[in-house]
Amino acid sequence: MSGHGAKEFNIKWGMVIDLDKCTGCGACMTACQVENNIAPVLDASNKLRTLSWILVYELSNKKAAPDAEIAYLPRPCMQCGNPACVPVCPVVATDKNEEGGIVSQIYPRCIGCRYCMAACPYHARYFNWEDPVFPKGMEKALSPNTSARPRGVVEKCNFCHTRLMKAKDKARQEGGNPEALADGAYMPACADVCPTGAITFGDLKNPEHKVHELAKSEHAFRLLEKLGLAPQVYYYTRREWVRKLGDNYAATGKAGAEKKHS
Amino acid sequence: MGLDRRGFVKIVVGGVAGTLFTPVIWQSLDDVSIWSQNWGWIPSLNKGEVKAKAALSKLCPAGCAVKVNTVGGLPFAVTGNAANPMSKGGVCPLCAGGAQLMYSPARVKAPMKKVGEGKYEEIKWEDAEALLVEKLTPLKGQDGKIAAISGDETGTANEVLSAMLAGLGNTGFYVMPGEMFTATKGVKLMGGSGQPGFDIEGADLVLMIGADALDSWGTTVANQKAFAATRPTGGAVSAQYIYAGPVLNNTASVCDKWLAVPPTATATFSLALANALIEAGAVSSAADFGDYKALAAKAAAAFEAATGLKADALKELAAKIKAAKAPLVVAGASFGQGAGALDFVAAASLNVLLGRVGQQGGMTLLGNGAKAIASAADRDAAKDAASFLASVATGKATPGALLIYEANPAFALPQATEMAKAMGNIAFKVSFSTYMDETAALADLILPAPHPFERHDDALNPYGVAKATYLAGKPVVAKPVHDCKDPVDVLLAAASKLGLSLGFDTYADVIKAKASALGADYSALTAGGAWTGEAKGGPLTLGAAALAKAAPVALADKTVALAPVTRLAYGTASLATPPANTLTVRNTELLGKDLFVQMNAATAKKLGVAEGNKVKLSAAGSELKALVHVNEGVAADTAAVLLGFGRSAWDEYTKGKGDNVYKILTVSDEAGTGLKVWAGSTVTVAKV
Amino acid sequence: MKTQFSVAKFDQKLQERWGEVMEEKKQCKGCGGALPFVIGFVAAVIAGWVLFPDLIYSKKTQPIRFSHKVHQEQGMECSSCHSFRDDGSYAGLPNNEKCMECHADVVGSDPAEAAYVEQYAKTGKEVPWLIYQSQPDNVYFSHKAHESFECKSCHLDVASTDTPPVYYENRLSGYSKQTMKMWQCERCHAENGVSNACHVCHK
Repeated sequence: MSGHGAKEFNIKWGMVIDLDKCTGCGACMTACQVENNIAPVLDASNKLRTLSWILVYELSNKKAAPDAEIAYLPRPCMQCGNPACVPVCPVVATDKNEEGGIVSQIYPRCIGCRYCMAACPYHARYFNWEDPVFPKGMEKALSPNTSARPRGVVEKCNFCHTRLMKAKDKARQEGGNPEALADGAYMPACADVCPTGAITFGDLKNPEHKVHELAKSEHAFRLLEKLGLAPQVYYYTRREWVRKLGDNYAATGKAGAEKKHS
Repeated sequence: MGLDRRGFVKIVVGGVAGTLFTPVIWQSLDDVSIWSQNWGWIPSLNKGEVKAKAALSKLCPAGCAVKVNTVGGLPFAVTGNAANPMSKGGVCPLCAGGAQLMYSPARVKAPMKKVGEGKYEEIKWEDAEALLVEKLTPLKGQDGKIAAISGDETGTANEVLSAMLAGLGNTGFYVMPGEMFTATKGVKLMGGSGQPGFDIEGADLVLMIGADALDSWGTTVANQKAFAATRPTGGAVSAQYIYAGPVLNNTASVCDKWLAVPPTATATFSLALANALIEAGAVSSAADFGDYKALAAKAAAAFEAATGLKADALKELAAKIKAAKAPLVVAGASFGQGAGALDFVAAASLNVLLGRVGQQGGMTLLGNGAKAIASAADRDAAKDAASFLASVATGKATPGALLIYEANPAFALPQATEMAKAMGNIAFKVSFSTYMDETAALADLILPAPHPFERHDDALNPYGVAKATYLAGKPVVAKPVHDCKDPVDVLLAAASKLGLSLGFDTYADVIKAKASALGADYSALTAGGAWTGEAKGGPLTLGAAALAKAAPVALADKTVALAPVTRLAYGTASLATPPANTLTVRNTELLGKDLFVQMNAATAKKLGVAEGNKVKLSAAGSELKALVHVNEGVAADTAAVLLGFGRSAWDEYTKGKGDNVYKILTVSDEAGTGLKVWAGSTVTVAKV
Repeated sequence: MKTQFSVAKFDQKLQERWGEVMEEKKQCKGCGGALPFVIGFVAAVIAGWVLFPDLIYSKKTQPIRFSHKVHQEQGMECSSCHSFRDDGSYAGLPNNEKCMECHADVVGSDPAEAAYVEQYAKTGKEVPWLIYQSQPDNVYFSHKAHESFECKSCHLDVASTDTPPVYYENRLSGYSKQTMKMWQCERCHAENGVSNACHVCHK
């Protein structure tokens, strides 16, 4: 499976999410919903119908009290180097072809077949079962950064891509190089609001960006590493049981992944 | 030559063929496909310049210092204010959706007068204000006839309210019973005065007893920032965090250690820890050390039975504390209220025992701060609304008018049903509220208050800060979305019509006066800055005299301790889960309209219930229906239920979802303090 | 009673009918030949190329007859109104705040200016200008990234017009006639060696 080479670009936008700092407060989910114009739904407890581009999972070490431990794991789109969703799209509505490696999703092009959803092992993709209906007046609080999607199309996290475009414009305006943004010049909404700063964001290939070193840490891991999809999202934890859970569908059937780095 | 049928067909065929060589079909197809991308019912985006304006977002109890992002002048997103020490760039989950909440369907859109049971009609502001004055006029000068409840812990609006009542010959100014209230009482029991503060930032070991300091307790975002600073991603951990409480909550999830302490055993845990520390050599020069030591020894003997923990766990903890350079004990109720002063005293006394009061990274004491209105009540003299409404229920208090400011006593007080009934004994109730909450739904007059981004407001010493802190904000938008008026402006105008001058016409002027009284620069504050004073200590006893009166809670058969759980994202005592936050509620917490009660497997077995069972929890003559979810992150013999659900007002996103835990919280009188307590409530659990 | 279907019978009927058709065809020789076809073809081509492009667009005029010429004559630069903001975003058309720097009150004698002052400056309502190049919500266009191009390589050359050009709105799609299509963006990107990745333009 990992025979396919990951697509490489000069810039590789990525995250290192420190699970030892995530309190599971949900600020990232709310900020994401606001940034990306996701309409509130009447029954948000029906998780098959909600759209959560970033979803905070609760992990448990499955031990009885008093040894019980939990950890929270925010899951954005992994922006895989070798995405499973892209080759299955019959209409090229999703692609990984832009510098930076963010997997795009073009809503007007999507035909809603949901092959990509079936392909994605991270459940990062969501289908619009309903049209976006905002409570009366709330459409005045829509973010200018993401177009509204009609029902019948698939959507997912794109690392708040419009923020990247804006950061590039700002760099151009200030005479800088839009292809060499400074660390922190471009931040997705989740990383921006996180009150514990659990999400570090930057160019994994740029040594001046914090994520470059962090991703190489012995405490860093990626979800389902052995599938060979080469996610651009790394997790970081000192808790071994959490790292082991990160690879729970490993090809070997055994928990715990070998460390591999790009 | 006439045109026969065949000729006509030829022309048509020629026409169709010719059309293929024109743009008609191809362009129409293209245009239709483009048309199909823009259905009229799909909202379109707003255009214009994107700006960020500093604001004080008092949606969470502490208030977040934020930047409100606007497009063409319309707020759309909220980010942290990196320059403000209370935010350092972070935002809480409630304030993160603040812009959307401006358009909440639950907002009160215009002044409303009650015209029948559950029926209201919109009235004009001038009529509403005239009605307010008309109802207050005959009650003027009769103490006990006009009362006010404030749900705002930090605003100078409280000074206006209490000064107005005082000017009208009344002393009935009450606050909703948050942590600040009980902690301030606790400090008094320890022979001190003022509001306690906790220097989490400066500590190298933070033991949180009850206090959910990294999610719903105190200055959440500042606490989270302090926590995060001690564990840089990829760097070394420079402080230990330990949580002792009934539930493996958000705070406990990132702590180095969680100690499962049932809500009925908080004081016992604290005192037993004191005993372990004393055994490890801790001594205090406090006069009551001898008595305290005896109490601690007694608690240690009861420790294992009361908490279900092993005594070794305490020894380990005591050793860690002894080894730390700057240990701090943060005392609080696990759900931010109702703990009574004794739980606070027991936990806070550990700081005294360790000599941590007034130290860097220790516990501090904050004064009342300079007042803007001299005749206003002192902040630490506040009285609690729960006791007040309890005496209204029994007829001991007979107010003719009740002013309710930013508070929801009909929902967020223990034995909520009783409290709502007590409100019925008051002839004229005015609710100053931004949202149609349960209390507004019972009021005789509802006066819509602006959303935080539409108003002037301030916050002095949000609970938990180690040093005096003052924030102020001004409106982000030119005018409110609905026909609102600032409640303080309305009160000031009413006061002046009642012949009372408080020296101000608007809340903005009051805040400016407050800032200058504190020595702060108003314009720097509204630009997103913060004013801070010094951190101070003060002489405190170990509170042994008060602690001696604490009565242990005994669990009857089939009875478990009730641990209400708060999560900031799901709302507060005065705010129901905002539409933008419903997504964050897990389906093991709320499913459709059913709330979950969480307990560990051993407790479930003992009660004879299993995952997914429908059960009812009964206490205080009320019951709550819920589904069982087995969760090992709950202390022994404890049932944990989320607070803030079971709304009967608000909007379709929250109304009727789950059940209200406040109904089954039983109020008891705390021995020796005269306070109402409900953190140690117990319930019986039965399958239905 | 059910009628039995007979293949043989059907075949016979078919052949009879075919005979009739061939007979008609012989009779009709000379009723126009290819001429009606050509007439229809030519008429359709003319209609398709001449009438249709006119019919598919409705014509709209700007709410205020804004004269670039007059403003230029006052010595104003294009960038006085159409400028980049500090964050690199493009201000596009000026809003009331900008216009009212000069036109808070009527300063000239043009009735269009008086109309602006009365209807917009005084009421605080923004002018609903018709944007010739307006792109849909799902497009992120950066003026900053295209700064090296002449404005008129994409926009109508309005710099010296006294009356704004007619706005042609497509009756089907609702977009302006000048709204650039995706293929145009892509062609120029390809010609200039710029990426045509989806995310380069879409949001």
